[in-house]
Amino acid sequence: MKKTIQIPLGSQHISLLEPIRFKFECENEKIIGVDADVGFVHRGVELACTRSFEFKQVGYVVARVCGLCAITHSLSYTLAVEKLLGYVANDRIKYLRMLMVELDRIHSHMLCLAHTAENAGFEALFMQIMGDRELIMDVQEAISGNRVQFDYISIGGVNRDLTPELVAMIHKNLGVLTSKIDALIGLFDNNWSLSLKYKGVGVLRLEDAYTYNALGPLARAAGLATDVRAETSDFPYEDIGYKMILESSGDIHARNFLRLREIVNSITMCQNIVNNLPVGEIQEKAKGKPNGEAVVRVEAPRGELFYLVRGSGQNMLDRVRIKTPTFSAIPAMIEVFKGAEYADAPAILASFDPCMSCTAK
Amino acid sequence: MKFFTPFRKKSPWVLHYNAGSCNGCDIEILASLAPKYDLERFGVINTGNPKQSDIFLVTGPVTYRSRERLVELYSQIPEPKVVVAVGSCTATGGVFRGMYNVEDGIDRYIPVDVYVPGCAASPQLIIDALVKGLEVLEAKSKEIEKPFKLFGAIETIHNKLSRLNMATKVEPHAKD
Ligand code: SF4
Repeated sequence: MKKTIQIPLGSQHISLLEPIRFKFECENEKIIGVDADVGFVHRGVELACTRSFEFKQVGYVVARVCGLCAITHSLSYTLAVEKLLGYVANDRIKYLRMLMVELDRIHSHMLCLAHTAENAGFEALFMQIMGDRELIMDVQEAISGNRVQFDYISIGGVNRDLTPELVAMIHKNLGVLTSKIDALIGLFDNNWSLSLKYKGVGVLRLEDAYTYNALGPLARAAGLATDVRAETSDFPYEDIGYKMILESSGDIHARNFLRLREIVNSITMCQNIVNNLPVGEIQEKAKGKPNGEAVVRVEAPRGELFYLVRGSGQNMLDRVRIKTPTFSAIPAMIEVFKGAEYADAPAILASFDPCMSCTAK
Repeated sequence: MKFFTPFRKKSPWVLHYNAGSCNGCDIEILASLAPKYDLERFGVINTGNPKQSDIFLVTGPVTYRSRERLVELYSQIPEPKVVVAVGSCTATGGVFRGMYNVEDGIDRYIPVDVYVPGCAASPQLIIDALVKGLEVLEAKSKEIEKPFKLFGAIETIHNKLSRLNMATKVEPHAKD
């Protein structure tokens, strides 16, 4: 008699926001084998960037790779092209770009926390976090004019400036959010039923994080010190109070907690940016056509985002290569699933913060 | 409370499917279900089950691999049903138009009742679209509920007796 049963999950499922399909091989309640299929939303952005769009437009096209970290996509592309053009942005532009990236990180982390709560069966917490998240969405809308796809960064600068009213609003909303995040930290730490669902569940060990190339919050929750913000010098992150945050246990609880603490750090950074904004132009001329090859790494909310741009002095680029952090997270995710209970699968999945649009491009 | 009377009639359940979107419109749909915009006050609940849903919210320009699932989900929703296409890329392909793996909009595959513009479509627009969708749903259910009466005669089609044309809708009396 066959000992195992196969349970499919996806590609359309109540607990999944995204089309991804898993085939779980289960022995009683334990998962012993996983098969993941991620290609449902492949659209072919990379090819279109070199065939149908000019290099000035591509920044807005790659933003549509992923709605959650749109700003990091356009930022990395813009940085790569600016490297090829030999242009270095002034401090005000750098600070404004950092501000948007950090705001984006806050809202993306909050969405992930909300999802983990929902998939652990805590619907009210989902609603609460989504409600608090609107504070950040309002700030983003006020700064850039759109809630999700900002199109804020262009080659040679940013598209809008901060006004004194905006600064006041940022301070007000971030202040309110700080107290809410503090309350959430207490809740995630002390709530007994949440700890049943999170503590010791879905553990990614440090060696596995090394072996399977985990990135971003995943790796940091397992104790692997990797953060592009600390490794590159494209942006003055030390000046605005960046701290590397590490957890050690590597379970869902650690990942949630790491995200919460990163949100606190990002709030501090945003406040520092707004307080110490240098003066200068927000849009400068970056002349010429990209010629040569450039590689850029940026820390997206989910980990290291890698861009390679190659041009040959023409309006059209030769190659745009995008490597997203969510794609690298899949081997680690499969490893974590093995040995877990089937009932925990949605919560584990949500704690990895998957984004299929990034993964499949 | 006159404003809410139209919405009391039906509490529509929503099925959401991502047919290759960038997730931008998906998180806006989530945001419109969350406390600030609160779609749930109209009785809207997000379900994962096509057999219980009334409104089909689709995002994304339909990728090559999602089309069969899209049509399958659509055909599993019981009548009457309303399809709402959220986002520019769902309506026309938007920024993805012409890419090699996308099909330029969902109306090539399933009939759409309400289009929502915007990249990303804002929650206000999504709420508007759902309210509009409710009207369409109301009209469609009225259409279905119209009584039938056997007026026609039994015919022979292809040498077989057929009762297909016997049933006709009861029309209101002509004003003559
Ligand atoms: S309309 Fe724009 S934001 Fe919405 S899914 Fe399509 S590309 Fe993304």
